[in-house]
This record gives sequence, C-alpha cells and structure tokens, in this order.
Amino acid sequence: MNLEVRDVVKNFGGLQALNHVSLSIDKPEIVGLIGPNGAGKTTLTNIIDGVYKPTEGEVWLNNERVDKMPPYQIARRGLGRTFQVTRAFRRMTVMENMLVPALALHPGANRREVEQKAYEVLEFLTVEHLANELGRGLSGGQQKLLELGRLLMLDPQFIILDEPFAGVHPKLQEAIYSYINKAHSDGKAIILISHDMDSIFTLSERLVVLHFGAVIADGDPAKVKDDSAVIEAYLGKDEEEDEDA
Amino acid sequence: MVDITGQYMLNLLLNGLLIGVIYALMALGLTLIFSVLGIVSFAHGEFYMIGGYVVYFVLQRFTNLHPYFAVLIAGLVTFVIGFIAERLLLQPLAKGEIERPAEYAILITFGLAFFLQFLMIAIVGPFPKKAARFFDLPEISTDILVTTATTLRIFEVPLSGNRLIAAVTAAILISATIFFMAKTWLGRGLQAVSQDRQAAAVVGINPLKMNTLAFSLGTMLAGMSGAVLVAVFSWVPWVGVPASGKSFIVIVLGGMGSMPGAVLGGLILGVVESLGAGLIPDPGRALAYKDAIGLLIFALVLLIKPTGLFGRDL
Repeated sequence: MNLEVRDVVKNFGGLQALNHVSLSIDKPEIVGLIGPNGAGKTTLTNIIDGVYKPTEGEVWLNNERVDKMPPYQIARRGLGRTFQVTRAFRRMTVMENMLVPALALHPGANRREVEQKAYEVLEFLTVEHLANELGRGLSGGQQKLLELGRLLMLDPQFIILDEPFAGVHPKLQEAIYSYINKAHSDGKAIILISHDMDSIFTLSERLVVLHFGAVIADGDPAKVKDDSAVIEAYLGKDEEEDEDA
Repeated sequence: MVDITGQYMLNLLLNGLLIGVIYALMALGLTLIFSVLGIVSFAHGEFYMIGGYVVYFVLQRFTNLHPYFAVLIAGLVTFVIGFIAERLLLQPLAKGEIERPAEYAILITFGLAFFLQFLMIAIVGPFPKKAARFFDLPEISTDILVTTATTLRIFEVPLSGNRLIAAVTAAILISATIFFMAKTWLGRGLQAVSQDRQAAAVVGINPLKMNTLAFSLGTMLAGMSGAVLVAVFSWVPWVGVPASGKSFIVIVLGGMGSMPGAVLGGLILGVVESLGAGLIPDPGRALAYKDAIGLLIFALVLLIKPTGLFGRDL
C-alpha cells in the first residue's frame, strides 16, 4: 500500500492554500493531521481524493498517479473519506445509504449479501436500529456514524476522516474510537483530522502538522508535541523573544 | 351558464385526472433532469413533440404494429437524441468547462428547442397530423359502466376512450419510472447524485454518467408523453411549447426536483384546470381561460410557497 503526495502546491487565485506539501504513507498507520484553522488540512484532503486538482505537484496511490482523476475513480481505487460537515444522503434510508457505495463498486453483487454486510457494519457502529430511518431524521452524531459505515462498504485501503468527533455525543464518540481501531487492525491506513487533541494524541501513531499550507512537523506525536515550530504555530510567537531576535 | 350537477362535477374531475396523469408523466422527466443536472431544460417540449411524430410515422409505415411498440420506439428515439444532446451540449457544463454555467444552461437548451422545432418543420412540414386511435375499447354494458369503441361512460359520465388509453399508458409508465428509481441500482445512483453530488462521487459513483442517464431518461419520458397523446391531439412541430409550459407549472407546484411532487402536481394541475374552465359561467370562453388558470397557480405557488409541495429548501 502506498499513498504519496509529492510537492503539492494549491493556489486559489492569489491565495496559496498549500505550499509544496509532501506526505507519504506506506503502511497501515493512523496519521493525525493537525494545524490551526486555515492551515490547509481540508484542502490537502480535497487534493488527495480528487475534489481539487493541484496547481503543482502529484498524488500517487498504490503506484498510480491519481491527481488528474475524478473523485469516483480514486474512490474505486481504494481511498475513502468523510466530510467535516456530514454528507449523508438525506432522503434515503440508512440502509439505502449503506448500499449505494457497495452497488456502485459491484453492481452485480448479491443484494442480500450486501445488505447483510451493511447490517453488520451498522451493528458494529451501534446504529442498526436506525436502518430504516431517513438520513435527514438522524442526529449529527448518528449521521457521522452513518458516513463512517458507508465508507466501510467501499472497503478502502486508505481512509481520511475529517473531524469525526466534532459535535458528537461522548457515547457515540466511543463508537467512532472503536471504528478507527477496528479499521486500523484490519490493515487500513487512516488520516485523522481533528481539533480534538486528546483524540489525536490517543489514536495517532504519527503526527503531521500543517501551518500556512506547509508541513512544519512530521513524526512521532510525543516529539512533534514538543517541537518549537508546532508550539509557535498553535500558541503564537513570544513577543519578547521576537524583540530579542 | 351550465347546470352544475354532481354528474357534471364528476365529469370535470375525471377528465382533469386523465389529462393530469399525462402532465405528471411529462413533468416527471423534467424534474428528473433538474434534480440530477441542476438545470431546467427548455427543450423538454420538443422531445414531447418528437415522441408524438415518431409514433405517427411508425404507425403509418407499419400499420399492423401494436401502438405500444410504437410508443416504445418513440421512447428509444427520444432517449438516444437526449443522450447525444447531453454528451455534446451539457457535459462541458458538468465538467466545469463553461465560464457562465447558469446562462449557458438556459441558452443551450433554448437553442436546442429551436433547432429541434425548426428541424421538424423542415422534415414534416407545418400541417397538423393525428395518429389513429390506438385501439378500440372493449364493449361492456353494466349499470355503472357502459363502453363503446370510442367512449366510456361511468355513472353516465362520458370519457373519451382515446384519453383514457393515453392516461392508463401514462400511469403504467409513471409506475415503471418510480419502480426504476426506487428499486434498481441505477435509480439509487441517480437519487444519490441528485441529493449530494460530491458525496456520491466519493463513494464511487460517476456523476457524469448519471447526468447522461438522467437527461436521456427525462427526454424519453417527455417523448413517451407525446407518444401517448398523438392519437388525442393534432400534432404540429410547435405542439411542445404549451406542453413544456405545463411541465414547468407542475414541477414548481410539486417542488423542483421532487418526483412525488411531479406526480401530485400533474394531477392537481389537470383537475384545477378542468374544474376552473368548467365552472366559468360563459362556456364559450371557458377553454380560453384554462391556461390562465395554470399560470395563476404558478404565480401563487411562487408567491406563497416557492419550494412547492415537496420541494427542497431554497
């Protein structure tokens, strides 16, 4: 398995959202991606999954260049994601939501088997009782779980989770924790974007920090935590230090 | 002034429902296109017109052919034309290659409408044509129901056999469309793209393919509406213009992009037009007010509930 972002630049008009970002994941690890607001985290995920095309640079997935591909082709090659603001199909039932990716990938699949798998995933996420509810009838946290379940139906090798804990009830957060640990033990690589530092440090095996569109740290979370550039990015530069300098 | 009796009201109601089913079928195509592609096709009426002509000419050429085969051929022809039109004219829009997409969508579908209309004038000429009755009604005589080859009387209320056949055919096609959307993988794919294009793409659905399918199916439904009506009305190359106007009213009334809304909106428009025209005191002018009643509904819905009966939030 291999996901590689090579020297990616993304400009929106005069604004540079990503500045020569490189990132490589070649094993099933949980990679925390953090950075202050506006650092470029969501832009980077949108580049990786094909929603945006990079201004410069390349993205490679399992030794295939994918940065010119549309999102559905990248999804079919084993990369799935969730969104910061949940995007369940609101006028479909939970079960129908679950079936869409499986049937998109394998239109000829046995419907009963797919439904069985979907039910098992819902059970694991503790929302099987909602199978016949419409997407729009779910709470924000339940919609997050639905999105995570839908993602598993794609069976991706790489999973990008954009703020999975935001606005989620602590009880449902436990289900998301279990989800991430299970996906990890099933051999999937996970990029976890979150402002919830407790979760990031509990779950991540590696931490990548973005600041003003550039990677300022990449490595062991314990070391990254003490990195002066990271502290500065989050807490700002000490003014006295600044004057001394 | 006509005598307003229960029988007269029932007559108006049933006739309204018959025409309403056909409005619904045509609007279903337009709403499908809107929900997936996010555009209003101003060429919808021209596909309706083509569908009618296909049936007329096919039945002229193959006199022994069952009319339903001709309706299916009309569906196929309008599907193919819709497919080509979408690929050539609308894909650049979906791919984000057009600088001013909203204006482009309006102008290109208007252009397509004019092109098809004038092309048809060049091919078939401007003179009205009308297909023969699809088939005779079976003769039945009971206390409630009496039929002849061309008319059905229920509780003494006469209904045109031609309209009845058209409405029943349209109802079958509406049911088939709803089944397709609700129960097949492609139908679910279309629903997913119509609800959230980006979310559908990241779970592996190709939105461009769904655009082509939605447009082709939408034009097919318009074509089949025309196909079932060519034995009811005289057909001219601009017959689609008022029909298209009715579809716009129906989808605004039902809620843009809502399929149940299109069906219910079609029935409501048919009944309201029929009742409205039938209750105008001067029968000599009543028919002339029919379209005005539809437009009044259009204006009222836009003023009072712009999202329509089942529409999404604006």
